[in-house]
Amino acid sequence: MPGENNTPKSTPREGNDVFIDKLSARLKQAELAPYPRWRFLLKDYVVWAAGALALACGSLAVTVMIYLVRFNDWEIRESTHKSLGEFILLTLPYFWLIFLGLFVFVLYLNLKHTKQGYRYPVWLIASASILASVIVGSLLSLTNIGERLDNILGARAPFYDQMINRQMHFWAQPEDGRLTGLMVASSTSGFTIIDTQGRLWEVIILEETRLPGFLAPGTPLNLIGRITDDLQFQADLIRPVGPGKGFLNRSPHAGDCSSQDCRLERPLGQPLR
Amino acid sequence: MDYSAGSSNLTDEELVKLALEDQAVFLWLVERYRAKLLRYINRLTNVNDDDAEDILQDVFIKVYLNLNDFNGDLKFSSWIYRITHNQVISRHRRLKARPEGYLIDIEDQAARNLAAEIDIEASADLELLKKKIKLILGFLEERYREVLVLKFLEEKNYQEISDIIKKPGGTVASLINRAKQAFKKELLKQNINL
Repeated sequence: MPGENNTPKSTPREGNDVFIDKLSARLKQAELAPYPRWRFLLKDYVVWAAGALALACGSLAVTVMIYLVRFNDWEIRESTHKSLGEFILLTLPYFWLIFLGLFVFVLYLNLKHTKQGYRYPVWLIASASILASVIVGSLLSLTNIGERLDNILGARAPFYDQMINRQMHFWAQPEDGRLTGLMVASSTSGFTIIDTQGRLWEVIILEETRLPGFLAPGTPLNLIGRITDDLQFQADLIRPVGPGKGFLNRSPHAGDCSSQDCRLERPLGQPLR
Repeated sequence: MDYSAGSSNLTDEELVKLALEDQAVFLWLVERYRAKLLRYINRLTNVNDDDAEDILQDVFIKVYLNLNDFNGDLKFSSWIYRITHNQVISRHRRLKARPEGYLIDIEDQAARNLAAEIDIEASADLELLKKKIKLILGFLEERYREVLVLKFLEEKNYQEISDIIKKPGGTVASLINRAKQAFKKELLKQNINL
C-alpha cells in the first residue's frame, strides 16, 4: 500500500522537458480534473438497467408465447388444418417472435457494452440473452402473466387481431366454417352470438354438437360448423376462446351479461377494432 | 530528490489513486508510460514525430480525465494501451499508409521471435531482417498489423491484447493466426526473402 513516504513530492523533470511542460500546462490552463466516479458508475448502471429492461420485455414475450402455444387448439388441429406442418406454420406467434428477437438483440447489445462484455464471443452473449429470456419467461408463465397480458392487449391494443394475434382473424371466417364471438343469449335451438364484425348470429346446436363444459352469456367462443341460413350457423364443435378473450370482451361488450343474456350497448353491425 | 526512486516502488494502481488527489502525481504515470506509448504509436501509425507526440498528449489528457473509470478489472498498462489504441484509430485511420514502411523500432529478439512464429527461416543479417519486417508490416491491413505489433513487438499476451483491442480471446487468437498468414502471403507477393 502506498505510504506517505512513498508519495512523490515533485513533478518529474518539470521545467526542463517540453513534453511534460506542455502537458502540465494543458492540464492547468483548462483546469482539467478527472471526471467524477459517479459519472462512470451511472453509465454502467444505465447499460445494466437497459439490459434488465430488455430482458423483462423479452421474458414477457416468451411468457405470452408459452400461453399462446399451450392454448393453440392442438386437440382440434385436424379439423382446422391439413397437416401438422401447416398448423404450426400458420399458428406460430410471429408478432411475439419478432418482439422477442428485438429485445434479445437489445439485451445482447447491452451485455456487449458492459465493461467486461468484449471478453465474451458473440455466440455466447447471444445464447445467454436468449436463454435468460426463455428461463425468466418460463418462470413468469407460472404466474399466468402471459394470459393476463394477452387479455389486456386483446382489450386495448390497436390491430390486435391483425398483428398481435392473427388467430382471431383465422377464426372469424364463417364462410370457411369458423366463427368466433361472444355468446349473447340462449335460444330454443341454441344461442345467439355476436361476432367480431358486430353481426348477431343464431347458433344451432344439434345432439352431436360437441359442447364445452361451461356455456353462459358473455363467454367468448370459437365454433366449427357451417352457415345454414342468413346469419345462422350450425355448430359441430364449440370451444371457449383461450388467447384473444380480451379482444372479444372489448368494451362495450364486456361486463353487462346476466346469466340469461347480454345487454348490448354497442349497436349491431359495428366491427371490433 | 531522485524522482524515479520516489515512484519506483509504487504500482500503477497506487499511482492512479494518488493522481486522483494530486495532479502532479499523474505526471509520474506519464513518465512511466511515455516512451512505451510513443513507440507503440509509431509502430501503429506513419505519422511524424510531432504528430505522434500530439497524439500522445491527447492520450494522456484522456487518461487523466478518465482516471476514475479505471478499476482493477484489467491491468493499468492494458487500459492505457487501449486508450492509446483508440486515440490512434480516431486520429490516424484516415491517413494513408506510407509505402516505405512505418517508423517501427524493433528489438532484435522481437524480430527473431516474429520470424520464428511465422515459421520462416531468418537470414543471419539481423538489421536486414528488421528492415524487411518493417516493410511487410507496412503493407498489412491495419487489423493484422495491430495484433502483430502487440503480440511480437509490444510482447503482450492474449489476455492483454484482448483487453486492449476489446475483442474476445478466441478472436484475438484467430486474428493473430490470420495476421501471420497475411504476413507470409505478403512476403511472397513482394518477393522478399527473410
